[in-house]
Amino acid sequence: MTAGRRNKKTRWSWIDLLVIAAVIAFVVFVVVRVETVLRYTWNWGHVMPFLAYVDEDTGRWVTNLLLEGLILTMRLAVIGIVISALIGVVMGLCRISNNLFLRMVARTYVELVRNTPPLVFIFIFYFFLSSQLMPLLGVDDLARSDSEFVQWMVRMVAGDPSLFSNFVAGLICLSLFEGAYITEIVRAGIQSIPRGQWEAGKSMGLSGFDVMRNVILPQAVSRIMPPLANQFIILIKDSSIVSLISIQELTFMAVEVGVSTSRVFEVWILTAVMYFVICYACVIVFNWLERRAERSKR
Amino acid sequence: MNRTQVRRWWRLSQQSPWIATLQFLIFMALVMWVVLRGAAEMGYQWQWYNIPEYLWKEYKGELYPGQLTKGLMVTLEMTFWCTIFTLLVGLITALLRMSNSWSGSLLATIYLEVVRNTPLLVQLYLFYFVLSPIFGVDRFWTGVICLTFYEASFVAEIIRSGIVSVDRGQWEAGDAVGLSRRDAYRFIVLPQAVPLMLPPLTGQIINLIKHSAIVSVIAVADLTTEGRNIIADTFMSFEIWFTVAGIYLVITLTLSVFVTWLERRVRVRT
Repeated sequence: MTAGRRNKKTRWSWIDLLVIAAVIAFVVFVVVRVETVLRYTWNWGHVMPFLAYVDEDTGRWVTNLLLEGLILTMRLAVIGIVISALIGVVMGLCRISNNLFLRMVARTYVELVRNTPPLVFIFIFYFFLSSQLMPLLGVDDLARSDSEFVQWMVRMVAGDPSLFSNFVAGLICLSLFEGAYITEIVRAGIQSIPRGQWEAGKSMGLSGFDVMRNVILPQAVSRIMPPLANQFIILIKDSSIVSLISIQELTFMAVEVGVSTSRVFEVWILTAVMYFVICYACVIVFNWLERRAERSKR
Repeated sequence: MNRTQVRRWWRLSQQSPWIATLQFLIFMALVMWVVLRGAAEMGYQWQWYNIPEYLWKEYKGELYPGQLTKGLMVTLEMTFWCTIFTLLVGLITALLRMSNSWSGSLLATIYLEVVRNTPLLVQLYLFYFVLSPIFGVDRFWTGVICLTFYEASFVAEIIRSGIVSVDRGQWEAGDAVGLSRRDAYRFIVLPQAVPLMLPPLTGQIINLIKHSAIVSVIAVADLTTEGRNIIADTFMSFEIWFTVAGIYLVITLTLSVFVTWLERRVRVRT
């Protein structure tokens, strides 16, 4: 369809004129307002060093607040998707189990999380986590541990050891939240496998567990992967919310830089561009992977 | 619990749905108990008796809305305006995307990609710090506009897929009868597409209510903001957060039930 359209000459219709006129009017209005009414002086040179700057003593590039925030965002997203996928698989299996008790527990979890605003969920959980669960898990002790290995692990996971327990709280919040959505992805993936596959497995004399492991899951995984990849992008975006419980990721850093430099326009445009680049890059990579996987299937 | 106990628990729940329900209730009670124990260990003083005054106030025999109820009203008002604008922007975007005009579909694609690939919170900050001073819009409407553009990206896709899912043959049948494109839309395509769109559109309203909580970041006095204000005054964090979450849950779960009902009706009709 696109090829056919490309062969034709670009046709102009009244819609094109309308759209272009509207866009031009919008841009002109914004520029005029910014220049004459707000008298905003753009100063990108003031904001860019917050990404990275050259250290004068060593002459090397050093990452600054915004880029460090981005790195923490990616840490949250990567570790978060692993944990929430685990939660999702366990809860997804509960969701389709024969056992009514397990089904009810999983259903309650999913409905509770999906029907409360993310903001409210994260605030409620943060109050509980920081005050109750964190001491229980001994997260602080872990961060203060003497062992070289533990220290290295902590630094790998959270970056700054002093912010480790804060990071873990944010991570668990996010993972529990996304886990509910992944539960539904896993459930839909497994249920999309035709019943005949179950019956075929059973007639081969496999036990329920073996049918699941050897027949259903291998097929379900290829159906779960694309929405799971999509969920990873959603996770990157949702991670911005934990800035409100002072996890120092990109959005949090942007607020800080915006306040301290008062170059609000530049900072927020830059932050939005950073998120866009990361997410869009993920979209392109995942699409490519999916197309490759489909080609190999044929 | 050791292994045999787990197995016994499992076998019990297989016996009858009543036993499984009972087990579920016991489990939930256990979770509640852990939460309450934790709160008690922190020395938390529960003050549930203070909550009703934030929901409603009685003065000289007449009832007045409390702080939380006022917040809820603002949330619902936002949802109302957002729903109208979202449908409008979503419809325009969907039509532009499906139109033959190259600039229209380009604009719609750019808009969809930008909105889909940036976090709502960052969009809100962008609207609040950058666009609202430029256009001179106040907080409430900044929130409404930001949410509108966010949700409209989903609505546009719902509308588009609804129209696309109508069989090609239906269009051709319209042509064969001699209907114009507009009449084909009006009499053939839309009557089939709209029932398909209704359940996901209602689902989108649920999302709208949930996402509207984020405007508390820019201090619009919605339900979440009022909750945060009360907590700042009284330190009743658990009670207030549970009440706020409960109010959201009641609204969204009611709508969810409605969506399920709509979906079933659509399935019966087709």
